[in-house]
Amino acid sequence: MDWRQLFYHSMNMFNVVIVSYFFVGNGVYTLLMMVSLVSVWVHNRRLAYQGLDDIRDSVITPPATIIMPAWNEQEIIATSLASILKTDYPSLEVIVVDDGSSDETLQRLITAFKLVKMDLIYRPRIPTKALRGFYLNPRIPNLLVISKENGGKPDALNVGINMCRTPYFCTLDSDCLLEPDALLRLMRPIIRSPINTVASGGIVRILNGCDVKDDRVVKVGLPQGRVERFQVVEYLRSFHFGRAGWDLLGGTLIVSGAFAVFHRESVIETGGFHLDTVTEDMDLIVQLHRWAVHNHRKIKMSFTSDPVCWTECPSSLSNLARQRRRWQMGLFQTLWKNSEMLFNRKFGLLGWLSFPFQLYIEGLGAAVEFLGYFMVPLALGLGIVPPTLFVLFVLLGLVYGGFLSVGAVLLEELTYRRYPKGRDLLTLLIYAVIEHFGYRQVVLFYRFQGLVRFITGFQQWEKVVHVGAAE
Amino acid sequence: MPFLIEHVTEVVFTIVVVVLLGTGTLIGMAIARRQRRERYFQRIDQVRERFGPVATALISERIEYQRGLEALKSISGVDRMHMLEQLLVSKPAPPDQIPILRKACQDLGLVKLWQQEVSGQITPVALMSPQGILRRVSRLHFLVRAKAAENLGIIRHKESWPLLVKALDDSHADVQTVAARALAAIGEPASFPMLLNRLQRVVLDGSDHLSLRTMKSAAVSFPLKQADELLPLLAALNGRLRFQAVDILREMVEREAAREAEFQLDRQNLSPELTELFVTKLCFDENPDARARSALTLSYLLDLRATPALVTLLEDPQWFVRLHAVRSLAKRKFLSQADAIGKRLTDSQWMVREAAARTLMVFGRAGLDQLTRHFLETQDRYSREQVADEMQRAGLLPTLLAQYASEPKGDEVEVFRQLSGMGKTSYLVSTLASSSDKNLRKKFLLDLGAHSDPQIRTWVRQLAARETDLELRTLATSLARQASPEKGGT
Repeated sequence: MDWRQLFYHSMNMFNVVIVSYFFVGNGVYTLLMMVSLVSVWVHNRRLAYQGLDDIRDSVITPPATIIMPAWNEQEIIATSLASILKTDYPSLEVIVVDDGSSDETLQRLITAFKLVKMDLIYRPRIPTKALRGFYLNPRIPNLLVISKENGGKPDALNVGINMCRTPYFCTLDSDCLLEPDALLRLMRPIIRSPINTVASGGIVRILNGCDVKDDRVVKVGLPQGRVERFQVVEYLRSFHFGRAGWDLLGGTLIVSGAFAVFHRESVIETGGFHLDTVTEDMDLIVQLHRWAVHNHRKIKMSFTSDPVCWTECPSSLSNLARQRRRWQMGLFQTLWKNSEMLFNRKFGLLGWLSFPFQLYIEGLGAAVEFLGYFMVPLALGLGIVPPTLFVLFVLLGLVYGGFLSVGAVLLEELTYRRYPKGRDLLTLLIYAVIEHFGYRQVVLFYRFQGLVRFITGFQQWEKVVHVGAAE
Repeated sequence: MPFLIEHVTEVVFTIVVVVLLGTGTLIGMAIARRQRRERYFQRIDQVRERFGPVATALISERIEYQRGLEALKSISGVDRMHMLEQLLVSKPAPPDQIPILRKACQDLGLVKLWQQEVSGQITPVALMSPQGILRRVSRLHFLVRAKAAENLGIIRHKESWPLLVKALDDSHADVQTVAARALAAIGEPASFPMLLNRLQRVVLDGSDHLSLRTMKSAAVSFPLKQADELLPLLAALNGRLRFQAVDILREMVEREAAREAEFQLDRQNLSPELTELFVTKLCFDENPDARARSALTLSYLLDLRATPALVTLLEDPQWFVRLHAVRSLAKRKFLSQADAIGKRLTDSQWMVREAAARTLMVFGRAGLDQLTRHFLETQDRYSREQVADEMQRAGLLPTLLAQYASEPKGDEVEVFRQLSGMGKTSYLVSTLASSSDKNLRKKFLLDLGAHSDPQIRTWVRQLAARETDLELRTLATSLARQASPEKGGT
């Protein structure tokens, strides 16, 4: 075989890989969409008898702690904390961990909540960086602010876990706004489940474009920026049928750490949040699965789509790039670290479907698709692929993505209908269709960069700058 | 291979067309759904606008019952029952309005419909409502059964309790959960043993779909006067059953105690059999969880044997039993047990030490004095740290500083010296710095101004630089110049 033949052969092989990736990936996505359409709709119906008042009033409802790590969040920290303190939950503690901010984050908390420094005992069950001080206001006994040396978000969360007294804790990003009953709703699957539910995740929605009054979202609307609108569709797709679908199949590998409840003792037994990945939330979920399998523990992970946490999404491409590179790099770090799960029968569906899906479709798929944008035209130029087939295939790739995104918008419409204006629905549908003509490719480029950074061993956490997008 | 390529092209083309059609269908469905929902909400709004005030007036007895009922009966359409449900039970009614609401639901035929639905009967009328799809698909019937059970609970329909007890064994866990909740809301005494029976099965059968928390939450809603029904579980051979029963009783007692300031358990509210069981058996139970959870009930018992039993639990080998015992003693009537509680300040488990400190603080000045004495006298570093922790968390330091400034001689200065020696002066110094009491600052400067603690040193230097009172500034300046001679103060 000469070089020319080898080249042609390789091109053919690559095209087969792309076609396989396309069919397998979209096949699983379609399956998830079908499953989610039913499960989210049924869940929405079940809310008619959810009994939130019962959970609120019951003495059996376990107490919980919200742990909020903060690093250089001076603009929003006081507002966020004020909102959290209003959370509707019968027995709630709040721990804010200032991760060595270089701005006025700590000072603003001290001023806003009249905190005084105290020298309390620290009994770390998970090793962390050194603490600088505890800040309390005896008149707000359920609030504790801790200042520590900078060690990253997972380290800050571990400090919170070490100081947490309640059986469950909720991680919450400092730029998030919780709906008043969000924690009650998030705890509901834990309370109602006969199995130890070690993690319960809710939905993260985009705050940009919404009206906020008194630390609450009072009017839901779509953001003005195109980048933000595309993300609204992406989030709907990711949460409504990514997370909901995997939850129903029992293959949850990702729970957004921006807003999730965990069983404290189980987390401590797995060593808390590990510091060696930049997506500590996914890593923790995977660790919990491994711990349960190795220790023969019967556990459950839950995702429910009605507890809502609002977060500001990146409004510029540069911020979006930082976020997506980090997510992709973290995905690979976690999968690489826990590669024993891959096709491991001990992990059942997780090992045979969820994990391979995350690795081959969500992870390596970024590289395949990215390279495909160069290789397929090359194959066309070399006459390996006929022009008609090339055009049809590119079209299929684009319209299938649109089909899935429109499915996510439909799911939202069938259930929660958070965007009340008819115009917003039409806008969402349009963005769902056009998302794959430009935006998808841009995001794909960032994801590919994330993969490159993983391969080259880049470790830095890229911070997304928040600009206060709510109105 | 042109043949193959042609076929692939055809296949891909077909898929593209199908996907495009599918996308179009989904878009159409989304828009149609929006329009349908808008029509639905318009209809609800219309009904609410027209009949909402009537329904409110009817259940708050502001209009004649029969007139209101006739008005509501005039709601027409295939969704009539659904609209009535939306009007009457979609929002919780105040407890005093429940009887009339129940009567209205009964007279409007809603109760009969819900009862039929709970027992799995789907009527033709129900099939025509907007929720009809739920009723047509048998796998979704559980949604209808659960909602009907919920509604019967909302209106506290006593006569439906046998149906709801039956629903505790429904094929779907949702219906079981809602039925348990509804039974708790109705509170029919005869249903309590049945609920406990179901709870027993949940405890014993690990594969049950019903959660233990749900069952316990329902059980503890029943009044304490029904606690005798727990006797078989409290005397059960299975330790887990005894533990759950003790815990249920504990929650019942706690709820009653929260309502009444001087609450006590006597013959009036707890039977002699139960009392006997607690003071002779459950506090010595082989299951430590049962022992631990018995502590709170013991703390309210008027029986003379209760307090000694509780004090015995303070010495239990299991730390969480000691923890529950210490917490249970956090009532002023147990002031005489302060010494026994004080011993737990040196417990090997920090949570017990913490609870002991908090319990002593409940005793007021006497408890605080005991805590202070212990803080000053103990050689146990961990115990001392725990007390220092609690003094800060409870915000006691401003109180101690105020006492120190106003009283000629007390233990306060020794407490401050001890805290300074431990390096726990942040709160102390920030309170001093924000105080406007010159006498306090002077006294503290004289007593501890030369202490080597870095935060005290910083405060003294700040006083030397910024204090407006000349005498104080001079004193602070001279202290600031002094090298700290020895740790421990002047």
